[in-house]
Amino acid sequence: MSDDTGVPSYLIPRVSPEAEEYFAGTLRSELRVQCCDDCGLHHHYPRIACPHCGSGRLQWITASGLGTVHSFTVIRQQGIPIFKAQVPFVVALVDLDEPGARFIAQLPALSPADAAIGMRVQVQFRPASDDLAFVEFAAHD
Amino acid sequence: MNRRVCVAGVGWADGPKTPELTALGLQAQAFGRATADAGLTKQDNDGLASAGYGGMHEVQLAEYLGLTPHWLDSTSCGGSSFEFHALHAFRAIQAGDADTVAIVYGNNELSAAGRSLGTGRAGGGGGAAMPYPMSFELPTGLTLVGAYAMAAQRHKHQYGTTAEHLASIAVQTREHAARNPHAMYRDPITIDDVLNSKLVADPLHKLDCCVISDGGCALILTTEDRARDLGRPLVYVRGAAAGMTHHSIQAMPDLTVTAGAVTGPKAFAEAGIRATDVDTFQMYDSFTYTVLVCLEDLGFAPKGEGGPFAASGALRLGAALPTNTDGGGLSATHPGMRGLFLLCEATRQLRGEAGESQVKGAEIAVAHGSGGWLSTMGTVVLGTEPA
Repeated sequence: MSDDTGVPSYLIPRVSPEAEEYFAGTLRSELRVQCCDDCGLHHHYPRIACPHCGSGRLQWITASGLGTVHSFTVIRQQGIPIFKAQVPFVVALVDLDEPGARFIAQLPALSPADAAIGMRVQVQFRPASDDLAFVEFAAHD
Repeated sequence: MNRRVCVAGVGWADGPKTPELTALGLQAQAFGRATADAGLTKQDNDGLASAGYGGMHEVQLAEYLGLTPHWLDSTSCGGSSFEFHALHAFRAIQAGDADTVAIVYGNNELSAAGRSLGTGRAGGGGGAAMPYPMSFELPTGLTLVGAYAMAAQRHKHQYGTTAEHLASIAVQTREHAARNPHAMYRDPITIDDVLNSKLVADPLHKLDCCVISDGGCALILTTEDRARDLGRPLVYVRGAAAGMTHHSIQAMPDLTVTAGAVTGPKAFAEAGIRATDVDTFQMYDSFTYTVLVCLEDLGFAPKGEGGPFAASGALRLGAALPTNTDGGGLSATHPGMRGLFLLCEATRQLRGEAGESQVKGAEIAVAHGSGGWLSTMGTVVLGTEPA
């Protein structure tokens, strides 16, 4: 268990070189994603080359943090204790307003009955360790 | 050289619960039975393919069996690995690189790990050992079932697919399982039983999910000439294709279209068949949705109409497309990966050896494997005549 966040260490990813900027951003509550200079599309997770066109000409931008639910599920069975204690909870595929970037993320405060494809959501950050926070989303009015 | 390729033998390990056998033990049992079924000796197998969960699994298996094959395939891309193996072995035998290839699978998933497959294992798989793309997925609490569920949810949204459509697949598969004495669950179920079973990840209920069992099977491919000498009913590999779309579900280009939309038509073209020619469909039913979406992708139903097609009863014995005639992963056997069982059941049907489950006059069977989270797909067309 890491200090005071309640997140077990086995759920905390290693900060890989290509994701340093992304994870550093989470500590500042900034959603950092890469944008391709050649095709103009964004992507997530971080890579050294654009998965859309293959270009290596990438820039980091701070995303608006707004997006739309492309699909979702309600997790009602989970064996990992921290999640088992939390069920049911909503996990969604979120398309950022910046085209090309899709996230898998929890919407921890959303009631399962209120989850819907097409709903607007806004990013939030949950501290997980000294090195990173987890990216989550919440309903956005 | 472009030789025709046939199935020489098939065999099944014990199941669905075998606490006395290890994974390798199940594999060796299945291999031995397939070799005996073919009328071969083990040394006749000059190629070996297998998929497992660690490195060099097929090398371990060869050593366990006392084999020194000169052709190996360890493609391990989830449950469809075995359709990839069949494709690769088909090409290798066609080209003359190998004469006789055994494809082997076995696992004691139920006895070794219990029933947690797909819904998260306490304490497992994270930290420094977490594969890079999972760094962005595992902390969300998404499960394997949940990944499929998000795809199913999107299909419902786009096409009006219903929970009843999905449930009808589980119900018809259970009817097939009732005829299989080795199936894990054989008692009939209704649509309401599925809908009233516990939701695991919306919209998938417990009975929309495959079982967890022990088990294994093996399939031996060889040249047409050798197969003729062996004297078993001839089953030809007519065509095969494999492909993928994504690893993490967030990278799936379209949640309602799998790589089966490419591999199905490609394999059918090589085999010289159309979807309407298929007498029986052996489809990796990890979840009811997997079947539904692949019914569409392989062209058995138009895109968006897999639900009504399935709910019409088309998957039953005697109907348009008897599917998973051994009771499938949903009711019969699922030791973690199911792709090879599809090929073995297709063979059993084409040989006319399926007993009560026999699709009368079956001449064309399709095995379609799905691996990961709808990630990797492989289609193999088998027939009683060559392409």
